[in-house]
Amino acid sequence: MRPLIRNEWFVRVAAPLLVGALVLAVWQLACQTYEVPAYLFPTPTDIAAKLASDLPGLLGALWSTLKVTFMAFAIAVIAGTALAFLFTQSRIIEFSLLPYAVILQVTPIAAVAPLIIILVKDTTAALTICAAVIAIFPIISNTTIGLKSVDPSLANYFRMNKAGRLQTLVRLRIPSALPFFLAGLRISSGLALIGAVVAEFVAGTGGRSAGLAYEILQSSFQLDIPRMFAALFLITATGVILFLAMAGLSNLLLGHWHESALKVEQ
Amino acid sequence: MHDLVRPTLSAPIPSIGVRIEGARLTYGGVRLFDGLDFALEGGRCTCLLGPSGVGKTTLLRLIAGLADPEPPTKLIAEDGGPLEGRVAYMAQQDLLLPWLGALDNVLLGPRLRGEAIGAAVVDRARGLLDAVGLGDRLRARPSELSGGMRQRVALARTLMEDRPIVLMDEPFSALDAITRLRLQEMAARLLAGKTVLLVTHDPLEALRIGHRIHVMAGQPAEIGPAISPEGTPPRPPDDPALLARQAELLRRLAS
Repeated sequence: MRPLIRNEWFVRVAAPLLVGALVLAVWQLACQTYEVPAYLFPTPTDIAAKLASDLPGLLGALWSTLKVTFMAFAIAVIAGTALAFLFTQSRIIEFSLLPYAVILQVTPIAAVAPLIIILVKDTTAALTICAAVIAIFPIISNTTIGLKSVDPSLANYFRMNKAGRLQTLVRLRIPSALPFFLAGLRISSGLALIGAVVAEFVAGTGGRSAGLAYEILQSSFQLDIPRMFAALFLITATGVILFLAMAGLSNLLLGHWHESALKVEQ
Repeated sequence: MHDLVRPTLSAPIPSIGVRIEGARLTYGGVRLFDGLDFALEGGRCTCLLGPSGVGKTTLLRLIAGLADPEPPTKLIAEDGGPLEGRVAYMAQQDLLLPWLGALDNVLLGPRLRGEAIGAAVVDRARGLLDAVGLGDRLRARPSELSGGMRQRVALARTLMEDRPIVLMDEPFSALDAITRLRLQEMAARLLAGKTVLLVTHDPLEALRIGHRIHVMAGQPAEIGPAISPEGTPPRPPDDPALLARQAELLRRLAS
């Protein structure tokens, strides 16, 4: 029999799950042995019980966070890709707009969020703008680099065959940019969630309620620590699912040809 | 199976000679060549040997229309027509699109030129892949093929263009010795009748498949007189006369 450590399934699935189970067990045992009160640090079973009992309320909050995340992500993808195409079409557009994209990126969203929330009346719209602002940059920069990094010899081949601008775009530039775009997508999906949660926190401190972050804030005021953890768990799970979905998409689109997705022969 | 391809390949395309007169090219402030004259005999394979950086590739790109000629460079097709649209180009890298299968890569040229892809065109592409021994790997993407197979797909694609003039820039230099010998033979057979310029750094390769062999050297570079080995290409690699010629070529290259 092959040693367990060489088994692909064990390394990829079972090993990380085992570590997770171990951490949870130590956590549970430690809390019980030292009789740590649930309002200081709840045990995993406390959190699970809370998650089950408060599920309807938490799911409502999750739904509003998800709504903001997905809308922001969609806006970032559409607007970011459109901007990247514009950037590669003309140098003057690129150089006149890029600095502002960078400014948008380097300004901490937590500092801008209050302003946006004051200016935009509708809470969901305000939150979506905040999240989209930070989710858009990886899409712009990755897609722009991707559209530019076409193999020069391939570009020559297209030139020799008198391929038009559109042909070159569709048959060469876009496929070449795809791996970069998908990497951008992966980062951006995570940022959209972070942006949504940060914006919800800012809105929540201003008394406008929405989403899981507001639930966390409320629970901390009420010292309902297990509920804080339960909300936190839902946010993390959302992030992981988003990441896996993007990785899956990337695998689906690149699996047959790109180095990043091909299985390496050992 | 090769008969499938033959008729389309040996269709009466008139062979066209190419002359380059007074070619001048400056690259990065260095004059690579100046007042260079060179001729490709129509329907024959001309091989160009020379040290790296001497300007072989640049000369080839000049003929391919990929580099802008400096005056007073003149590029003349001997039948008086334009060169544009009558030149096919094959490079050291296979230049295959990694996201397309072998057949689609061969069909890329006609697609880019906006030609209708009918059953006849697809059949021809299949026939060419068959001729290079890849008839059973039509759907295979480049990542699934070995270096030699990829270069064979590239050869099929070059033949698909069906241009009277074919320019090849070290097309086999990245391959192992045996694969290289096989591909040289295949290329010589399939390219017969076309005007070919093959740039290489391998004297044996030039001697196997060239009708005329030139050495390019110096700065600014000059092209020496032609060597015309006996016999018709592809010549066997173990021919003693060939080996003697190889020694002579190596001497010329080293000097």
